[in-house]
Amino acid sequence: MRYRVIAAVIAALALGVVVATTASASTKTTHTLTVWLQVDAQNGWPSVVAAANTAFENANSGWTVDVQYQTWGTHLQNFDATIAGNDTPDVIEMGNTEMTKYMAAGAFANITANKGQFPNSSHWLAGLAKSSMYQGKLYGVPYYAGSRLVTYRTDMFKKAGIKRSPRSLAAFKNDLARVKTKESRIKGFSPFYMAGTDWYSALSFVYDYGGSIAAYRNGKWVGTLSSKKSIAGLTAYKQFFNATSPKSARTLNEANPAPYTVFSQNRTSAIFGPGWFSCCTGAKYKSVTSQFVMPSHVAGKSMPGFLGGSDLAVPGQSSQQSQAREWIADFTNTTNEKALQAVGNIPNATNLLNNSVNDRAAQASWFVPTAKYWVNVENGNILRTMLSQILTGKLTVKQAASTADANIAYTLNQP
Amino acid sequence: MGFRVTRKLGWNAIGLAVFAVMAFPVFWMISTAFKSDDQINSFTPTWFPLHPTLAHFSNAIHQPNFGADVLNTLIVVPVAVVIAIVLAFLAAVALAKYRFKGRKLFIVAMIGVQMIPGIGLIIPLYVMLAHVPVLGIDLVGQLSGVIVVYVSAVLPFSVWTLRGFLLGIPKELEEAAMVDGSTRLGAFIRILLPLVAPGLVATSVFAFITSWNEYIFANLLLQRQGHQTITVWLSYFFGSQKATDWGALMAASTLIAIPVVIFFLLVQRRIAFGLTAGAVRG
Amino acid sequence: MGAAAEAVSKRPRQRPFNWRRTRRGTVPYLLIFPVVATLAAILGYPLYQLFRLAFERYGLPELIAHHGVYVGLANFSSVLHDSIFWHTLLRTVVFTVAAVGLTIVLGTLMALLLVRVSGWVRILITVSLVLVWAMPPVVAVQVWNWMTNVQNGVLNYILTELHIGDYFQHNWFETPFSQLAMVTTLIVWGALPFVAITVYAALSQVPHELIEAAEIDGARAWQVFKDVTLPVIQPVLLILTSLSILWDFGVFTQAYLLIGQAAIVPANYVMSVYLWEEAYFKTDYGRGAAISILMLASVAILSVFYVRRMLRVGEVD
Repeated sequence: MRYRVIAAVIAALALGVVVATTASASTKTTHTLTVWLQVDAQNGWPSVVAAANTAFENANSGWTVDVQYQTWGTHLQNFDATIAGNDTPDVIEMGNTEMTKYMAAGAFANITANKGQFPNSSHWLAGLAKSSMYQGKLYGVPYYAGSRLVTYRTDMFKKAGIKRSPRSLAAFKNDLARVKTKESRIKGFSPFYMAGTDWYSALSFVYDYGGSIAAYRNGKWVGTLSSKKSIAGLTAYKQFFNATSPKSARTLNEANPAPYTVFSQNRTSAIFGPGWFSCCTGAKYKSVTSQFVMPSHVAGKSMPGFLGGSDLAVPGQSSQQSQAREWIADFTNTTNEKALQAVGNIPNATNLLNNSVNDRAAQASWFVPTAKYWVNVENGNILRTMLSQILTGKLTVKQAASTADANIAYTLNQP
Repeated sequence: MGFRVTRKLGWNAIGLAVFAVMAFPVFWMISTAFKSDDQINSFTPTWFPLHPTLAHFSNAIHQPNFGADVLNTLIVVPVAVVIAIVLAFLAAVALAKYRFKGRKLFIVAMIGVQMIPGIGLIIPLYVMLAHVPVLGIDLVGQLSGVIVVYVSAVLPFSVWTLRGFLLGIPKELEEAAMVDGSTRLGAFIRILLPLVAPGLVATSVFAFITSWNEYIFANLLLQRQGHQTITVWLSYFFGSQKATDWGALMAASTLIAIPVVIFFLLVQRRIAFGLTAGAVRG
Repeated sequence: MGAAAEAVSKRPRQRPFNWRRTRRGTVPYLLIFPVVATLAAILGYPLYQLFRLAFERYGLPELIAHHGVYVGLANFSSVLHDSIFWHTLLRTVVFTVAAVGLTIVLGTLMALLLVRVSGWVRILITVSLVLVWAMPPVVAVQVWNWMTNVQNGVLNYILTELHIGDYFQHNWFETPFSQLAMVTTLIVWGALPFVAITVYAALSQVPHELIEAAEIDGARAWQVFKDVTLPVIQPVLLILTSLSILWDFGVFTQAYLLIGQAAIVPANYVMSVYLWEEAYFKTDYGRGAAISILMLASVAILSVFYVRRMLRVGEVD
């Protein structure tokens, strides 16, 4: 009898909680604008988000902005689920390499006619703007960008007698060799640290020599890594890597270990990666860390850096599209973009660029082929496999590039 | 007598060695939470931080929505576990003690359901919860939606496991406990409960931990900040493109493991060895 | 009280109360009804959808249009003709056998150990087991990464310091085999607590005086285990084995995160990673459904022996 009573009480409690949590459903007397931003905003520039929300809510009484933070690993699967369930957000942040697939499938609203509504839209960074367009129509608004730089130890370079940042790749190689002789006591030291399969960095060499990854010809995608220029770039990469980076890194990727971690362990004097790498180079070396733009093999020029970044799009399913566009305009206005710049991002328009090393790096940049299935090439690690084969010598540069070309073409030409 | 003591010492030594090996990664997690950033990344491992810092714990707690998300999880998980264990126990009694048509089918279904890769069910489940048929409510974004998913995730193996524990009760114990020849189902269950308590504990601990650490569905169904569970909160530490604050992540993980340990310590007394030994002697 | 109990236990196998006779019709159905209703309500529709999707082309455009295109067996055909599917299946079976074997054997040994140690050691071990168990998988993966890191991992450090060899900057993730070996150690380590604690709970149901009687009769430890302990814990062991097979066959988080998206290639796929990469990552839900069903069939075949044993154990009297 006692147990039955206890069981009944537990059941009632449980039921009560369930009902309570259901009943506390948001009684929407106001309108809500749902915005999906990546958690980078919450960690990095919460004041910018707050400013945009305030501006929007002041201009639209009775409206609240509900910002829901996403993580890069799961946000696309979650987006797919909301598409299926008919409750997509009104604004969504997409990585610039993620855009094409969704644009091609018709997930986003066509905002070509509204381009003028967005601040600085006539000066948008070419690389970002390209990622927001599909077949001539605009589907997204550039949000911010990031390029690639060399982060280095000023004290080690000074000790090696290097007075200024190298003007060419060959000069850089020599500089690194000089650092190496000076720091040979440190076990496991290597003047440059780069993960061998870090294609974001490696393919800069390809583009530096005028090569490319793929091209759209005669209605089909063709891999162009085995073109003469691309091969020259890949060969230059192999030589540079072998001369300056540790052998143990040949098959590693940039996630593990992170280059800045190796830097903070005093095991290298220079790394190549996004500008924000300087955040985590170790408290000990904060005062002796600086950055410069990676030099091209052509003296006096910069090597093009991979232009990463994000765009903001309005899902086609949203029934509040004009409000969504208004919020985006508030979020990407000049003040906010300058605030993003202040925390180490590259703003979305050329007229906002200053002379910081970060913004200078964006002057020469490259971007991935804007193909519908490009993400499948990335996720399939085709480029990483190629780089691993090249650096370990398993295949010659030409063989590895040809294999990659075939795989890329196969993947991109899927129906 | 001396031999016994030596044997005990021997077993204890092995036990401590097992403890050391199993607990090492946990120790690494906890000690990292107290290390400075430089010590975390140092080239030679830092075993014990000589100057432990509480900065990571402070950062962790001050991440947005920590308190709210802990509360949400403290609602979702115990409710799901209680519901699941109660339902599973009833079904397990039926499976272990009764013969009825469809019994085999039910058992096979319990194990069959677990063979389905969960990833395949994500989107259909979301679509269904967004517009629940018959009731017509929207459970997306509601804690009850997540509770409902966790109950169904945990039920099959709970039924399966509890059935095994019930089957394992030696006949003598059952018969001895039923001396008064009671015929009511309620009394029947009352007799079985203490005998199967260890199994209930083990199963409920598993249900608790599985629900506590579940991420995919919580992340999918709960989007509003402050209305999420603690695993989603944790994912924000490493979901950005920028560098992960490992110290804060380890501190956060240590903190959210505490309720689980407390729950276990509360129930582990029931798995006392020899619990049932006294019953037969009366 | 004692006399009555003795009288009862001395009676031949005739029970004072026959469970199976009274109201056999409705009681068991009432007992299983809540579970059946709950699972049917929550999983019914999604399962139906999963089976339907397997016969449709359902990519991103179809998702947006809320309408799939019927393609019959094309998804199944495409998967079954994919050599990667078969290689992955074989690799996953081998991986499952290794992981489950290690988990069950080591877990049972650990449970037997728990019985024999002093109370304080037992608490120490069980609390650490619960902490291991409670550790979020992503955190466990990261700790594993740190321990096995090329640059500064403790594993390399310890092995080199103990002069077992020169493991300076040794890469524990060099080949697909070593990658999967690392994944196996992580999974076995994470699975041991549940097995150890559950078997320990089952061991508590073994009548103590039976063990003592056997030991007095001169039986050795292994015989005691085989004749007295094993029959009592056998149902639980069978359950744990079959559950472990299911879980390890379908494991995703550790296999995916430990190797890392950047290093995942067909050569180190396990089935759920294959499902994720080849279907869901590419937004091909029809293919994903087909692979899910094939996975279900595969693991059913793999575990059928244990499931049948399980069913037969319950057939007693």
